Amino acid sequence: MDRRTVMKAVGGTALAVALAGCSDLLQEEDDPIEDAEVPDEPIEAGLQTFLEGAPAVLGVQAQYGAETAVRRINDNGGIADRQVELEVVEEGEEALENYQQFVDDGMDVTFGPISSGNHEAMVPEINDQGVINVATDGTVTTLYEEDHPPEDNQYSFRFQNHDVMEALAAAIEAVELLGEDEIDTYAGINPGYAFGFDEQEIFAAGIEQLTGAELVYEGFPDLGTDDMSTHIEEVNSEEPDVLFSSCWGGDATLLLEQGHGAGMFDNVELLVGPVLYGSANDLSEDLTDGPIRAGSRNFYWDQPDTERWSPGDELVAEVQDEYGVLPTAHFMSGYGAVTAWATAAEKAVRLLGRWPDQEELAEVLTNHGFFTPAGYHTIGPDHQGYSNAHFGELAWSGEYDAAVIEDVNVYAAKNVSPPQGQTSLDWIESW
Amino acid sequence: MIESFVTHTLNGLYYGFILFMIASGLTIIFGVLGVLNLAHGELYALGAFVTFTIVGYLTGLVASPTGPVSALVFAVVVLLGSLAAAAVLLPVGAIVESVFVRPIYERAEVYQLLLTYALLLIFIDVMKFGWGATPVDPGVYSTLNQVPTTELVGFGYPSYNVIVMVVGLAVFLWLVWFFDRSKTGRIVRATAINRDMATAIGVSTDRTFTLVFAMGAFFAGFGGAMVSIGPGTAFLEMGLDPLVLSFVVIVIGGLGSLKGAFVGALLVGVISRWAIWQYPPVELAAPFAVMLAILLVKPEGLFGTWGEIE
Repeated sequence: MDRRTVMKAVGGTALAVALAGCSDLLQEEDDPIEDAEVPDEPIEAGLQTFLEGAPAVLGVQAQYGAETAVRRINDNGGIADRQVELEVVEEGEEALENYQQFVDDGMDVTFGPISSGNHEAMVPEINDQGVINVATDGTVTTLYEEDHPPEDNQYSFRFQNHDVMEALAAAIEAVELLGEDEIDTYAGINPGYAFGFDEQEIFAAGIEQLTGAELVYEGFPDLGTDDMSTHIEEVNSEEPDVLFSSCWGGDATLLLEQGHGAGMFDNVELLVGPVLYGSANDLSEDLTDGPIRAGSRNFYWDQPDTERWSPGDELVAEVQDEYGVLPTAHFMSGYGAVTAWATAAEKAVRLLGRWPDQEELAEVLTNHGFFTPAGYHTIGPDHQGYSNAHFGELAWSGEYDAAVIEDVNVYAAKNVSPPQGQTSLDWIESW
Repeated sequence: MIESFVTHTLNGLYYGFILFMIASGLTIIFGVLGVLNLAHGELYALGAFVTFTIVGYLTGLVASPTGPVSALVFAVVVLLGSLAAAAVLLPVGAIVESVFVRPIYERAEVYQLLLTYALLLIFIDVMKFGWGATPVDPGVYSTLNQVPTTELVGFGYPSYNVIVMVVGLAVFLWLVWFFDRSKTGRIVRATAINRDMATAIGVSTDRTFTLVFAMGAFFAGFGGAMVSIGPGTAFLEMGLDPLVLSFVVIVIGGLGSLKGAFVGALLVGVISRWAIWQYPPVELAAPFAVMLAILLVKPEGLFGTWGEIE
């Protein structure tokens, strides 16, 4: 593959190639973007994410991802020769105030948050302020489908797959593994807030449409709970064929710990957890036992196989060298959010011959396509990011001394998300 | 159905004993000193973090269990490590009382709240500095479950939960013995009932108060240790929920009553687990509903002691 082919494939810019992880394929050549009129000062960007406490299991990965993307941007000459300066702040419960502070500080773009509740609170303010925010997570499906449809939303974007994509992938994964006729009952243990309710509702709609299975139990433990034993005992008592859990971070490890302790994996045929792999760096070997299919949202570091996919291999090596962890999907949440905006900004400079304003950049970001080491991503007309969804068998790697997923299934975005303009639940009901 | 009832009840007792161990320190400090310690939850969290370090070190010195006997030895090592971790909280509590709390005994209660809230924030930053911002886990839970307990009578239940219940009961019995039977405990009670009289007969209230605060910190830390060796992790905000639930427990039992804290903790644990079993959405509200119901019947709490340990 020559330089021209690579450039064309990833969007036609050196920056896009670098963020796709293919910079070693580039050669020096004159770039017309050098004639564009752009300010001299660096781009100021703000990221809010969870940096401490239980949610930091995800939030710090997003920070690593965003920092890695910024580092790669700056190492490759910046965006249209503008370097990026990234300020990272604790998301906490002040996401709205953080965004307002970023705007007051003159940020060119903001990234984050992780929390669905925080994201929901931010969207109206983002559209009032008119400074683009690319959410790393905050993936509740109804946010862009119902609460803030495209006609009411100009500046708020989201990179990570939204809930329907992973909850439906979980349902399909269960059917693929057990067989449609073998799933008569299902149960759910999901975190007791917007994200958990959303995931359970969509999974329930999907699995019932696919198999006609009956719900035998659903529990919603408080986020950050210290005891799930009551919910686990109910699962043990009902013995569902499939247990669905969107628990993440400390809740996911608690579920696995107490589940193993109470013999839960002897009483279910399968546990499917769409964000279980987000806790990969906190799982011990014994927790990976059992019939567990773990989801890894829109990125699993070894898919495609890093032995055959050098951008993935180089990214893993860089992350391990820099941070000493394996990158999870939340790493890609940060990396992809920055990459989406950066590649769109550079594309806009090429189109306009100058630096775009927020409105122009929002136009370009809508329907924008770009590559990362996770593959190809698009931002749809609804401002939602669309990427592949990943599921695999939770296992242990002696080589990495960490949890991995094996026998990975990849679900294309179009198979696990509704057509534009249709809500997820309506779409599922129409099957 | 019956097996589920038994398991849910055991889960409630397990959770109740955890709550009791955390709340006991709070009620001791309040009962004797009259100080509502908002930093109590962080002392609990500090115990969990110190446990991660000490138990992690100690278990690294012993081989992984290969059978019931070696699992029992492992569990003893973990419990000794937990005690050692809690013991670290003794000097911490003593310093907090003698340096920070003592100067404000005579001031309005709002100063106590401000001071202990400030300590809460400081402890969080100390823990962040010491152990980082992300959760830590000594990773001994599954190994503790290898200790044979209920399997011996043909019933499958996590051995860690059984260990917690046994340890929690031992803590309660020791505290009752200490305050009812030991000379030091009686001096503490006498000081709580009448400080002036205790001083008049030669009791050093300063030393007594320091001892009591250190004991409170120890039991907070021990509660954190028991959680840390369990299925959960130690993380920075872990002190908040237990602090709130500890208040619920000591209000139900009667402020300052040790026996009240014990009964209140078990009531909250068991009734909330039964409630979640029957109607899962009540998970958050259940402990507060229990408190509301009891206060409607007995506004002073079940044991109604105010200002002295009973």
